[in-house]
Amino acid sequence: MSRPPDDRGGELRALFFESANEILQSLNEAGLELEARPSDEEVIRRIRRAIHTLKGDSAACGFHRLSELAHELEDVLTPQVAQARGADLAELVLTAADSFGAMLTCYQRRKEPPAVDALHAMIRKLLEAPASRKAAVSAEPQLPGQFAWTEYEQLMISEAVHRGEIVYNVALRIDPNSLMRAAAFQLIRNVLHGSGTVIALRPEDNVAAATVEIVEAALASFQSEERLLQRCRIPSIVADVRLERAANAETPEHELLGDLLEAQAAKLAAGVADTHESALASSSSSSGSAATAVAESTLRVDAARVDAVMNLVGELIIGKSMLNRTLTEFDQKHARDPLRAKLADAMAFQARILDELHKCVLKIRMVPVEQLFRRFPRLVRDVAKQCGKDVALELSGQNTDLDKGILDALAEPLMHLVRNSVDHGIEPAEERVSAGKPARGTVYLNAYHQGTQVVIEVRDDGRGMDPAQLRARAVEKGILKLDEAKRLTDQETLNLIFESGFSTASEVTEVSGRGIGMDVVRTVLDRLKGTVHISSQLGRGTIIQLRAPLTLASIQTLLFRVGGRLFAVPLSSVVEITRITDPEIHRVDQREVLRLREQILTLVRLDHLSRLRSIDTQPVRKKHFVIVIGAAEKRFGLVVDSLVGEEELVIKALPGEIVSSDLVSGASILGDGTVVLILNVPAVLSRLSRATPLGAIA
Amino acid sequence: MKQFAALLRKDNQPVRYLVVDDSVFARKNLIKMIEMFGGEVAGEAGDGLTAIAEFNRISPDIVLMDITMPQMEGIEAVERIVRQHANARIVMVSSVGYQENILAALQKGAKHFVQKPVKPEVLYEILRYVLSDDPNAVGAPVALAGEHRS
Repeated sequence: MSRPPDDRGGELRALFFESANEILQSLNEAGLELEARPSDEEVIRRIRRAIHTLKGDSAACGFHRLSELAHELEDVLTPQVAQARGADLAELVLTAADSFGAMLTCYQRRKEPPAVDALHAMIRKLLEAPASRKAAVSAEPQLPGQFAWTEYEQLMISEAVHRGEIVYNVALRIDPNSLMRAAAFQLIRNVLHGSGTVIALRPEDNVAAATVEIVEAALASFQSEERLLQRCRIPSIVADVRLERAANAETPEHELLGDLLEAQAAKLAAGVADTHESALASSSSSSGSAATAVAESTLRVDAARVDAVMNLVGELIIGKSMLNRTLTEFDQKHARDPLRAKLADAMAFQARILDELHKCVLKIRMVPVEQLFRRFPRLVRDVAKQCGKDVALELSGQNTDLDKGILDALAEPLMHLVRNSVDHGIEPAEERVSAGKPARGTVYLNAYHQGTQVVIEVRDDGRGMDPAQLRARAVEKGILKLDEAKRLTDQETLNLIFESGFSTASEVTEVSGRGIGMDVVRTVLDRLKGTVHISSQLGRGTIIQLRAPLTLASIQTLLFRVGGRLFAVPLSSVVEITRITDPEIHRVDQREVLRLREQILTLVRLDHLSRLRSIDTQPVRKKHFVIVIGAAEKRFGLVVDSLVGEEELVIKALPGEIVSSDLVSGASILGDGTVVLILNVPAVLSRLSRATPLGAIA
Repeated sequence: MKQFAALLRKDNQPVRYLVVDDSVFARKNLIKMIEMFGGEVAGEAGDGLTAIAEFNRISPDIVLMDITMPQMEGIEAVERIVRQHANARIVMVSSVGYQENILAALQKGAKHFVQKPVKPEVLYEILRYVLSDDPNAVGAPVALAGEHRS
């Protein structure tokens, strides 16, 4: 019935870390909100809830230090403390989120969590503020079985006995391990009330129950002694029970009883009104739950399972093109066969469904960009604070979907870009004001779809970049020679910032400007088969656009042959196709170039670039096809033997030991079983730029 | 891992549970325990409103209810469920330090409470206790009261 504990633990751990990270994210968001609106009770409630969940989850997972810390923090987060120390609380929540994050990372790596003294100190400081704890009302603990009922209660007992009821004296000892005495007392009360008529009870109310050890009651009930004992042995609440029949009291005085009953009735009526009021109060505090209801219907699925489905769909697409080829052959052999049309119909139907299926599976992998954007408000706040600047962040296009894998890969580059914008892009307030700009700088993050690509844009209204300064710096750093630098256009100069070892900060700061970072941006985008584009206006600001394919799984490609081998390039990087003859090819700097509409285009021959051995020896051609390929601002012309056509390819990753060249980013299989290599455009470009000065690749 | 004798209903069918907690992790944890006890998780909910809807849909034998949840908190959910189904068996699941909330939930008609982190053996005893309660026996003649022996 139960699974081995190891398996259970592992699965729970994974789930824990996943949900814990979500909690941290919400803590960060709430902390920022609290900073904007200190002592907003709703926000504090939300924070409390988040920490509370974290506390429970981590305790269940055995992460006691985390759980204890959360518990401490939870105690501080009361509305009273918030009233008094609202602003400090925001800082505390943000620090806590960081500390929790650090601890979680350690737990995840199965290491001892770090000490979190800073947080402890903050909590202690907050608690030193005037505490508003109610002094617990102390009640004299009674010995078991005292049953000292008042005269009125004794009267009631007699009445009940006269009616023929059995009246019991019950004493219950609350489990000494129970930390929640008042709740335990309430539960005992519930059970007693559920078992008969409670005539007398000690202690009489919940306030006194906080320190109580023994509960005594006089209970009139029709239930058997055995049954009552069973009901009173409440697990984890009651440690010990004593039950005995109450001795018969004196004969009641009826007039007095009548008065007492009246008083009792009035009390009951008041009680009812009370509960009604509190019910109204609690229902007004709740709100609609459409959003959570939606969240409830989401599934968490292992990414590997989705990938398996994706792969199968890929195989189906290959199967489709196999069928298509067969149908074409069938066509040629039996052109008049009526079966042909039926086959074609069935295949068109199947193709349509397959197309839908493909889209659906792709959608599974898609997540809104919001998941990435949500961590930036905190980042901008922290960096701005560190630099002593006032910076606002504006987000848009959060609902733009893209592949989860790409989203995760983009996180780091985007972080560098935003950091740079705040640190270097936005000027200090005085500088902004004297330039006629608002004192508060703004960084904009935007995302949108463009064709089969997603564009993520980081824009700031800061000082912009100065190409002249960049050129000087490139020379100073030894990245370019002076004459090379002079030849660069402004656009090419801006692209220099993505070169490794290039940093525009006049001095290295803690936040950014270590010279690494910007080249990470390009490395990641290359890997994703995406591009970076930068534009900047001095004094007005900078825009950096990251473009990445919507999904990594399949791409539209153009197939071509070189040296008898089949290759493909992503259709999105093809600018145009042209035919040339040999005399049109010129040689400049030991490099073949082509003059295309007043522009010089570097020509690339795959067979030269990769020392590809030709597998069929054809006579040298006079006419060639040139595929003009563009990535970012760079262009080159690919000389190919023949064009095959467009095809949707499902990319299969190639293990490193099979392909030694970085010029190929993946492979795919065509319907007839032919293997196609997919050209890695950015890699070809960088191979070119290493061989020649940057200026030649315009 | 400790083995537990299966907790069954009087008709020898598995006990049907509704598990309510906004933390997926906590729910999963409880579900594992319920399965160890031979129970059947008939429904799950992450907030009070869903819990009420699920209760009406599946009529569970026992509800395990978290207290602090978004939208509608456990206490209000308890109140609304008990108002419609006086015999509902609801066990609150919450951490130490939420005494006032547990108190409120008990006043609204919750049958018991268990503290996080939930220990299986504790939960097991509590469930057994809560299940042994025959709602018809309340204030009823003695003859009916001995039914739990069956």
